[in-house]
Amino acid sequence: MAAWSCRLLLRRGTPVLSLRAAAESPPRMVGCIRSVNNTTWFDEHLTEDNQEYMRKSMAQEYRRQTADRLNPLKDEPWQRHEWTQGSRRVGLVAIKLGMAPIWTKTGERHVATMLQVQDCHVIKYLSKEEFDGHTAALLVGGRNVSPFHKSEVQMEMFRNAGVPPKQKLTTFKVSDNALIKPGTPLLAAHFRPGQYVDVTAKSIGKGFQGVMKRYGFKGQPASHGQTKTHRRPGASGPGGDPAKVFKGKKMPGRMGNVFVTAYGLKIWRVNTKCNVLYVNGSVPGHKNCLLKIRDTTLPTRSSTLLSLPFPTYFTEEEGDLDEDLYDDNLFIHTDPSLALT
Amino acid sequence: MAACAKGLPKCLFSLTLSRNPRLRNQRFVSTSRCRRAPAHGSEEPPKFSPPPKPVIIDKTQTAASLRKFLSPEFIPPRQRTNAIKFAIERKDMIHRRKVLHIPEFYVGSIMAVTMADPNASGKINRFVGICIQRGGKGLGATFVLRNIINNQGVEICYEIYSPRIQQIDVLKLEKRLDDNLMYLRDALSEYSTVDPEMRPGPFSPTGEVTVNKIRVRMRPKPWSKRWERPKFNIKGIRFDLALTPEQMEHAQKWAQPWLQYDMLREYDTSNLEEQIFNEVQQEMSK
Repeated sequence: MAAWSCRLLLRRGTPVLSLRAAAESPPRMVGCIRSVNNTTWFDEHLTEDNQEYMRKSMAQEYRRQTADRLNPLKDEPWQRHEWTQGSRRVGLVAIKLGMAPIWTKTGERHVATMLQVQDCHVIKYLSKEEFDGHTAALLVGGRNVSPFHKSEVQMEMFRNAGVPPKQKLTTFKVSDNALIKPGTPLLAAHFRPGQYVDVTAKSIGKGFQGVMKRYGFKGQPASHGQTKTHRRPGASGPGGDPAKVFKGKKMPGRMGNVFVTAYGLKIWRVNTKCNVLYVNGSVPGHKNCLLKIRDTTLPTRSSTLLSLPFPTYFTEEEGDLDEDLYDDNLFIHTDPSLALT
Repeated sequence: MAACAKGLPKCLFSLTLSRNPRLRNQRFVSTSRCRRAPAHGSEEPPKFSPPPKPVIIDKTQTAASLRKFLSPEFIPPRQRTNAIKFAIERKDMIHRRKVLHIPEFYVGSIMAVTMADPNASGKINRFVGICIQRGGKGLGATFVLRNIINNQGVEICYEIYSPRIQQIDVLKLEKRLDDNLMYLRDALSEYSTVDPEMRPGPFSPTGEVTVNKIRVRMRPKPWSKRWERPKFNIKGIRFDLALTPEQMEHAQKWAQPWLQYDMLREYDTSNLEEQIFNEVQQEMSK
């Protein structure tokens, strides 16, 4: 009831002010009172086979769009340039799958995080002037998602690129010789084993946390006369001279759910078939969260020895790679057992 | 034996051997074999091709009678992880199993593991012990072997898929009443001692695995853990010798009888196990 009246009002173009009143009284606005939140999802009122059909047809549509984009004859790609010293290339958006152990050829055990590059496309090109005045930028999106929860502005962007709507959009600052046409898919082979990357993601949200968990304060002893004080911050600053608490004082508050970057992570293995990267160590974020991966900014880890695909890896150009690309030091499970000498 | 005329004298020779009783018990080994001169056209001697390996088909055992065993680390835990991650890990595990034979074993079996060790003499390290725990899933699966050497209890945790492991042998395949034998640390040392020179016992791929119903005698309390408490659910300890009935009743205070009715804790792996078992068998037979 309230839902219908809401839709009627929207269709007529009048702003939604009082909805309860509109159901009973004529459409003259009585005055804005309360808003009724009646969100619904696109297949709530559909029958079951219609829902099935909608899902299948959406998936087919996405696949068709992506397949069109991979065809080089239909739309010409942009000019490709060579890599020069100081040029920056795009990064990727990936999903954190989980962690697994890896062994080197000397028998040492390390842990690696598996990141899957799923439906990563370049969405938009922002020129130097549009972006910040210094460098050009490329908007990249990851993981297809339903269009019903995207705003019209975003949907316009995806339509222009000819790509299904994405869950995460990130900007990558890029040098002018590494520009890619919007709509090109980005694959895991963009990164090669032996290279170092930076991974940014939103850390796991911990909610409102005390000062011991949030900042590692020592707290107070558990016994020996402490009265109701075991995990409190203690003193909050010097005494009468400033007579105030400085801004930025570490106090309890919301912890986590902020963007955190892990720098200098080595790539051990790239699976080109499933588009999975094995990245050394741990990475911020929970399982199945979206991350932003780019080449390292650390000067001691940037390698010029590896010939990385510039501006990105194209399947048509570079041809077939092996299903799995391994780092030189990594132990591959098809090899015989190690005999340490 | 060779059917061609070249081998005929040898055939006759072997016939005389088999008929003559005195000669039957002696061995005649000829290291050289008389060869004819090579044929006119060929310049090099004929290439040596080794005889084909005999294929042993055991007709007494059908596929249906073989014991179905899926190693517990293949079964993925109940999590919100993407199934692709488990599939990729399973591929790696199968690759490793094709190189190193990882036998079927349970907690309570006696095993010997040889591992490459840079600090050992001969670079190889062999340890024999009883398996007290199997943990972990996927590539990081581990098992702990316990033994008592020179009156010192030693436990070593091995990663099943570590490349340093050269060989895993099961010397005695059996199960025990519990899944976790950590209480052997508090039991008398005779229950954890395993002879390091033990020979492998008979192995039968059909039929059920024997369950050793031994109930272990413990050292006097205090123990490292309160094994009498119902959360451990241990059946393999002789509590009647170690504790009084009052102590046993007191331990039952920590019982949680409602746990067995908790439906959210149910994790039915039967379908998953079947699927994974078929997949693993297929891949291993390739």
